[in-house]
Amino acid sequence: MSEARGRRRDGLALSRALPDRSLLAMVAAMSLLASLTYAGAVGARALSSRWAAGAANLVTVQVPDPEKLPADTVSGSAASVSKATAHGDGASSASSALPASQVEKQSGGQNAAKPDMTRAAAIEAVLQASPDTQLVHRLNASEIDKLLAPWLGAAGASALPLPAVIEVHLFHSAKLSADTIASIAKIAPGSLIERNDAWRVRLLDIARSLLACAALAILLVGAIGAAVIAMATRLGLGARRESIEILHGLGAVDGYVASRFARRVAGLSLAGGMAGTLLALPPLAGIARLMAPLSGGGALNFGSGETGFSIAETMTALTTLWGETPPALLWGLGVVPFAAAFIGWITAQVMVRVWLRRLP
Amino acid sequence: MIRLSNVTWRYGSPTRRVAGGRSADPATALSGVTFSVPQGGFRWLLGPSGAGKSSLLRLLHLEALPQSGELEILGTHVGVDVKRATLARLRQRVGMVHQDFRLMPTLSISDNVALPLRLERRDEAAVADEVAAILRWVGLSERSGALPAELSGGEQQRAAIARAVIARPGVVLADEPTNALEESQSSRIVGMLREVSALGATVIVATHNDALVRRFPAPALRLERGRLTTDESSTP
Ligand SMILES: Nc1ncnc2c1ncn2[C@@H]1O[C@H](COP(=O)(O)OP(=O)(O)O)[C@@H](O)[C@H]1O
Ligand SMILES: [Mg+2]
Repeated sequence: MSEARGRRRDGLALSRALPDRSLLAMVAAMSLLASLTYAGAVGARALSSRWAAGAANLVTVQVPDPEKLPADTVSGSAASVSKATAHGDGASSASSALPASQVEKQSGGQNAAKPDMTRAAAIEAVLQASPDTQLVHRLNASEIDKLLAPWLGAAGASALPLPAVIEVHLFHSAKLSADTIASIAKIAPGSLIERNDAWRVRLLDIARSLLACAALAILLVGAIGAAVIAMATRLGLGARRESIEILHGLGAVDGYVASRFARRVAGLSLAGGMAGTLLALPPLAGIARLMAPLSGGGALNFGSGETGFSIAETMTALTTLWGETPPALLWGLGVVPFAAAFIGWITAQVMVRVWLRRLP
Repeated sequence: MIRLSNVTWRYGSPTRRVAGGRSADPATALSGVTFSVPQGGFRWLLGPSGAGKSSLLRLLHLEALPQSGELEILGTHVGVDVKRATLARLRQRVGMVHQDFRLMPTLSISDNVALPLRLERRDEAAVADEVAAILRWVGLSERSGALPAELSGGEQQRAAIARAVIARPGVVLADEPTNALEESQSSRIVGMLREVSALGATVIVATHNDALVRRFPAPALRLERGRLTTDESSTP
């Protein structure tokens, strides 16, 4: 009794007057592609924002002879500061010392340090007073030991005359001001300021180009998808042109004929869109599982030794990968079938009406 | 009721005009056609091939509008400024049996025959009753579930007639409905069309089957090269 059902659905039993499968298959394929592209773009956005956040605006200040009194209270001469730019791996750093005289000229009135402080404490105070810094943290002895352990072994680190290490988290796009740098040089000549600028800028560039590629892919796939659905609709309706003209001859008004066919096409497109979007989920889950360790918020967790497939784990991976934007992802994937249905509907409406307009 | 007055119609662009007299322009299908048929009348439409019989029926089915002259169908004046909705409503009241049947190839015979009723949004129970009755009348009850392609020419012809008359239109037009049919089939089909006329519809049947015309005497309209040469109803 599928005949009776079809008749009730569209009033004219036109369900068999349209080639269902080819339109359905084409819309499903385009929706699969669109879903994968869209999920890729959302994933790229999540990854890039994590990377950008991970590459924090971090500066390290090394203060030699940290326990001495500030140099400017002892003598105003021979102060120098070395500024270095660290590369991504932090292993090699090119240092260049600023001439003391130049630093002297730049030095301004910033003076949060009190005369009875140690050099390290004075510099910490200067950094804390700077409006660019978000967080200032001097590494304690055990943190320094941990840092040096690979080179010096567990013991004996404390026997060396180590510089103080101060970690400074700057605000998002802030830089240490020349005044602050000059003050540091004045308090502790020979202080080393290391920034991760180059690494950070490169990471942000990568993230940005990743996003641009994703946006371009979405635009292209969206446009091609719309064109393919429109073409499939044209093809399907083209084969039914005679039927459309017969209905016109029987006295059906344009709006009625157009809406019958448009509704049918929209239903088919919706079904195809849903099939395509559902088909996209398993590969997305797989990708999410692979990428989860790379996108995890905190420490990287390579080689956890997990093999095989578990649904719980996949769900965790999905929420981890797209954890930041699950509403955007779900919203976007949910929109794909409806976008396909709308494109089919509007194409059918326009086409049928244009054809009928040629008849009196 | 059908009324034509000095109707001219040519294929192609309505502004295209070839200089010359009478029927020098081959695209002119009808020129200066004037006649009228009262409600319930039956007319043969005669003439050699290419005379304009099909063109005249297409015009009466409102598949085209006359470029000049007056056309009135079922009390409605059809001019160039007529509304599309008016034309659609009028088409529902003019049943047409095309020479090539124009059945929807993907719909069963009963769904094809039901189309005019469904376009009027009759309820399905009434549609089922009407379709069963009309299929019985044309002798296709057994074939109601078949597709048009599974029917013989004569059966398709009868299905097309069933669809043309099921909504009880005021005008029924048939274009060579007995073409390529054997003698007994032809008589049966003309008999049906005479019945429809007797029930009150205005019926015009185009044919060049003289034997059939002799067997079913009725006033004839004769076309030649797009001009009406004989109107038997006007000369009693
Ligand atoms: N679609 C068309 N385009 C142009 N000329 C046509 C078309 N159909 C028919 N004609 C011409 O109109 C004239 C009348 O044709 P038609 O009405 O089919 O005649 P009949 O039905 O009496 O054989 C003929 O000269 C024919 O060539
Ligand atoms: Mg003809």
